[in-house]
Amino acid sequence: MKALRRGLIVAVIAVLVGGFVKLRGKGGVPPTSGGWRELDGPDFR
Amino acid sequence: MATVLLDGVGAVGIRAARQLVETPGLDSLLIAAREFSYADDVAASLGDRAAATELRPDDPLPEGVDAVATALPAAVVADRAERALAAGVPFASTVDDADAIDALLGLDDAARHAGVLLAPGCGLAPGLADVLGRHAADALDTVDEIHVARAGSAGPASTAAVRRARREPAVEWCDGEWREERHPTPELVWFPDPIGARECVPVKVGVALLVRAFPGVRRVTVRLAEPLSRRLAWPGRRGLDEGWGSTRVEVWGWRGQARESMVYGVIDRTAIAAGTVLAVTAARLAGIAPGLAARTGPSAGAHGVAALVEPVPFLAELARRGVKAAVFEGVAVA
Repeated sequence: MKALRRGLIVAVIAVLVGGFVKLRGKGGVPPTSGGWRELDGPDFR
Repeated sequence: MATVLLDGVGAVGIRAARQLVETPGLDSLLIAAREFSYADDVAASLGDRAAATELRPDDPLPEGVDAVATALPAAVVADRAERALAAGVPFASTVDDADAIDALLGLDDAARHAGVLLAPGCGLAPGLADVLGRHAADALDTVDEIHVARAGSAGPASTAAVRRARREPAVEWCDGEWREERHPTPELVWFPDPIGARECVPVKVGVALLVRAFPGVRRVTVRLAEPLSRRLAWPGRRGLDEGWGSTRVEVWGWRGQARESMVYGVIDRTAIAAGTVLAVTAARLAGIAPGLAARTGPSAGAHGVAALVEPVPFLAELARRGVKAAVFEGVAVA
């Protein structure tokens, strides 16, 4: 019973945190590949 | 040889002062601040080429000044620009407040008539972001859309300006018309690491400068991230905004038959990046960095940095001074 209660609490917290993070992250698409490269010599010619 | 007057030595101004005294061709840097003793201390720390000057708001410009650079709160920038204009001296400012930028753009006719250049928005964004936009546009045949985002601020006045801009109605340029949004939708923007993803809202700041610099552009937006509070920050975020800032510029257009996008970004201490942009722009206006001037740029009027400088030498000069831009290579994010 105690384990069930703990599991329930963990599940509720996970749902709340997940929902909050999802709300906060509305919009935008993450870059799926690639990365940033510093501009250097050849870029300035 | 040239003399530059630097007005305001806060977080950004003091970095600009350091950059200016290290600029070849600069004969003298005059430093003005609200308190003369502080300006004197700063000048003393910069060596023989810097000197403090006592300059009250109503005083005329000192004789022999070739360019004015200001890193001042938005409320006083228009007055300082009018003073420079009256003296026939080019003027650069880091101002990033929409109303103050509009006020400087309102001096465009007078500046053209006087043959003087006024450059509002010489910071990270507006400023360096606009030059990155120009750099991207130069690689395309035509430009459709420009989307700029910025995270970070430099000092308390800049932080307050960002918060105010986020509260005010957003303005974007869409299909040749201004569109106001009273309740703009936040969007996650992926800045270069370690800033990473930050929620940004559309604002008015800097849109007009981009529209003027890129005639024919269909859509322009500028977004700002909320400055992190010292008391309330996401775990792992605390400290990231302690001076750090980033800008991300996404440009869409056509190259031949293909629609393409280019994404550039910068991450640096916001005050250092803004101060360096101000210093290099002031050097260009003072005539001691002729290689930076835009080949087909205007000779007078009020313009953003994108219209005034040639992107490649300007970015190379910033990189030489430690402010390095980056390009995003991979799948573009729409």
